[in-house]
Amino acid sequence: MKKLSGGLLALVVVFSVCVAAATGVYAQESGTSSVEFPYTGNRTAVWIVAQLHILFAAFILGAPIFVVISEWLGYRKQDPRYDRLAKEITKVTVILFSMTAVTGGLFIFVLLAAYPQFTTSFINQFYMVFAVLYPALFIAETILMYAYLYTWDVWKGEKKGRHIALGVLLNLVCLLILFVINGPTSFMNTPPKAEGVSPQDFMAVATLWDKIANQSWFPLSLHRIDGNVAFGGFLAGMIAAYMYMAAKTKEEKAYYDWMGFASIWIAVGGSLLQPFTGLLLAYEMCDYDFSFCPYMMADQLSMFFETQGIMIGLLFLGINYYSWLSVKRIEGAENVRITILAPIVLIVLLPVTMWVMDKYWIPDPLSLAFLLPLTLSPFLLGRFVPKTVSARTVIKIGFIIMLISDAVWLTPAGFVATGSDMPDEMKLPEGWDYLSTMPAKLSAILTLVFVTVVNFVLYNRTIKQGTILWGKIDFAAQFVLIFLAFTSTWIMGLMGAVRSLLKKYFHTYSLVSDLSAESFTPTLSYSAGWITAISVVFIAIVTVAALVALRPSASKVREPEESAVPVAAK
Amino acid sequence: MGNIFKKLGIGLVVGGALVAVAHSQELPVSFQILFFTVALIGAVVFILLDAKPIEAMSGGKSLFAVSAFWILLVTVCVAGASLLPQFDPEDEKAKIGKLLEKERKQSTQGKAEELIARAKELDEKVKALEERLKGLGTGQMVATAPPPSTSEKPAAAAGGAGGDIMKVGEEQWQLQECYNCHKLRGEGGKKRGPELDNIGTLLTVEEIQQKIADPKSFMAEGYDKEWQKGIMPNKFKDLMDPKEMLALATWLGTFKNTSVNTPKPIKK
Repeated sequence: MKKLSGGLLALVVVFSVCVAAATGVYAQESGTSSVEFPYTGNRTAVWIVAQLHILFAAFILGAPIFVVISEWLGYRKQDPRYDRLAKEITKVTVILFSMTAVTGGLFIFVLLAAYPQFTTSFINQFYMVFAVLYPALFIAETILMYAYLYTWDVWKGEKKGRHIALGVLLNLVCLLILFVINGPTSFMNTPPKAEGVSPQDFMAVATLWDKIANQSWFPLSLHRIDGNVAFGGFLAGMIAAYMYMAAKTKEEKAYYDWMGFASIWIAVGGSLLQPFTGLLLAYEMCDYDFSFCPYMMADQLSMFFETQGIMIGLLFLGINYYSWLSVKRIEGAENVRITILAPIVLIVLLPVTMWVMDKYWIPDPLSLAFLLPLTLSPFLLGRFVPKTVSARTVIKIGFIIMLISDAVWLTPAGFVATGSDMPDEMKLPEGWDYLSTMPAKLSAILTLVFVTVVNFVLYNRTIKQGTILWGKIDFAAQFVLIFLAFTSTWIMGLMGAVRSLLKKYFHTYSLVSDLSAESFTPTLSYSAGWITAISVVFIAIVTVAALVALRPSASKVREPEESAVPVAAK
Repeated sequence: MGNIFKKLGIGLVVGGALVAVAHSQELPVSFQILFFTVALIGAVVFILLDAKPIEAMSGGKSLFAVSAFWILLVTVCVAGASLLPQFDPEDEKAKIGKLLEKERKQSTQGKAEELIARAKELDEKVKALEERLKGLGTGQMVATAPPPSTSEKPAAAAGGAGGDIMKVGEEQWQLQECYNCHKLRGEGGKKRGPELDNIGTLLTVEEIQQKIADPKSFMAEGYDKEWQKGIMPNKFKDLMDPKEMLALATWLGTFKNTSVNTPKPIKK
């Protein structure tokens, strides 16, 4: 109950600040802030608190989706491990729920101190959202979250369905919160506009719905939904790694080994969708104002995207390396084979996709006419081709293809800070410049996704045919889980910074200028330093929360798990 | 160890071959380094794939290993991002300073700053007069009294208001970053928009101004898709005042290089 009251107290603080901001403070004289945050400056101070808040919020909105899927899987498969995983992550989520409220309150305070005039007018624009909708939904989420945790042991057995339904209801409220708060967030990037009317004139007559349903609202929400699921999964994987390292018994090791495996595969589900929803978001933003596109990909932020390419490449390598380590501990994995069509498609997919994308750029349906049959052929036609290859060989071929795709994914037009003044000697020569275009990037990411899907199919096949020795995974896998959680958090921070920097020298793009001296694009080095620091602080807090929530229960569990070690995998 | 040397050897050979191919194709050195690095990462990946399993750790040993791993991750992230080319914010600060100059002056803060500057100026005048009066009082001429600082302002103001229209036009080209999409004088452009070196022959100043204010008013021949998509942002009439837009159009109107194939604009 202490946590509940803490969360509610923080909520009341946020609410009062919003109300105060929209009333008294609104009467302030215009001008920049008289407050100057020491060392960081105002913009970075807001950045730190905002990013921390968003990371916590992403976890508490993503984890319930992850948790309900896990609980439902446990109910369907009658496997108690899924239920334990779901309950443990819910306990961590409840602690982090308070952190979300606290950082949310802090965010408003810092924003008001740093940019009083803008914050006031912004809250005024979305008064209904900040003062009514968001607090109401947050209270509903709080009640449902605690009800979900405290009814866990009451609603079991025949009542389990009722508990899962409560989890689904909690998720619906979480999704509503995400959609509601993404209104003001996306509004700052793409405020609604109309042909032939100035943005200011249009804003004078725009309704709240016009402002919320702006051009990047829905794609941003989609991108954040699958991003949050993946994020929740990767963090759960890291928690599993720490608990595995701290486990004292074989049973505990077996359970946390399994938890890492289950978490990562739910995270992979979200990760596979992310590049596509991310592209949709970028597409909509460029469609809103084409100057966003060169600013992101070719000009000031081009090296931010280069870094994103490196990190996403490493993330995919990490995911697939984890699955390789998982396969290695399955007895009988060496006997698993797959049709020769799989490695053939792996090898030809990247060049074929690059050719198709060059000729029939999306959304041309002809691109799908080529690519769908090609990618589905190993799964649909494989049974008719007698020649097979061992799973391990296919996975290794997949790694080579992944490395080539990574190289294409991160090949820029030139290694320069801004594309606008790129000297010819730094550019990719003609004939090679295709590697730096969007069709090539999309082909690379499609190939990365396809390799991961093939590995997933192989992994499942290996699990069905072999025997998993839970708790016997290579210890290196625990470091991979930590690496994946950190990389995923870091990429979120980087792309969050990119989205925010896209507003250029505006608070709200083309509507409200940022008149402070800090309205410029920071260097990648400076940004990377802060993103790393924020990621480390966030992960440290999550680790402490996990240890507080899970260590007592882990030490109590001494009796053997229902699933013996080793077990025949099902 | 055999595994490590074998994989590393293969990585070096593949990397060397990639560098040789890239070099023969005249790819810049930075790309050769990129391909070589990817080959080495590949070698590391394959070393890890066939590496012997790490033995389980616990207690202080695992804590130490995790801490070391975190230090490695943080160092690689910070150092890696710092190794890439860095955009110099000073370039942008000057541009943004010019773009926001008017708004900053109009803001309360700007007005307050202007009042403070005026007060300081008046204070200096008073001090100068006092000095002169003192000099007169003692019968000495104060030849060294500083000249009134007001002389600076008219000069600056004259430069701003009546300055060269061509200079303002060229400045707007830079400030609005038109070069990101249009090539001019052999610089900028990514084939997103037409090359403009001969635009002065094809359009009048008024028509260029109309195109900037309303990008749908003209379509460059061969740029049907871009025109339909509305690639050229419809925001410049809100970002530039009429004088600035006229200056940009006038400056662009002077480009009449018929040797450059600027596509023909079609009135829409």
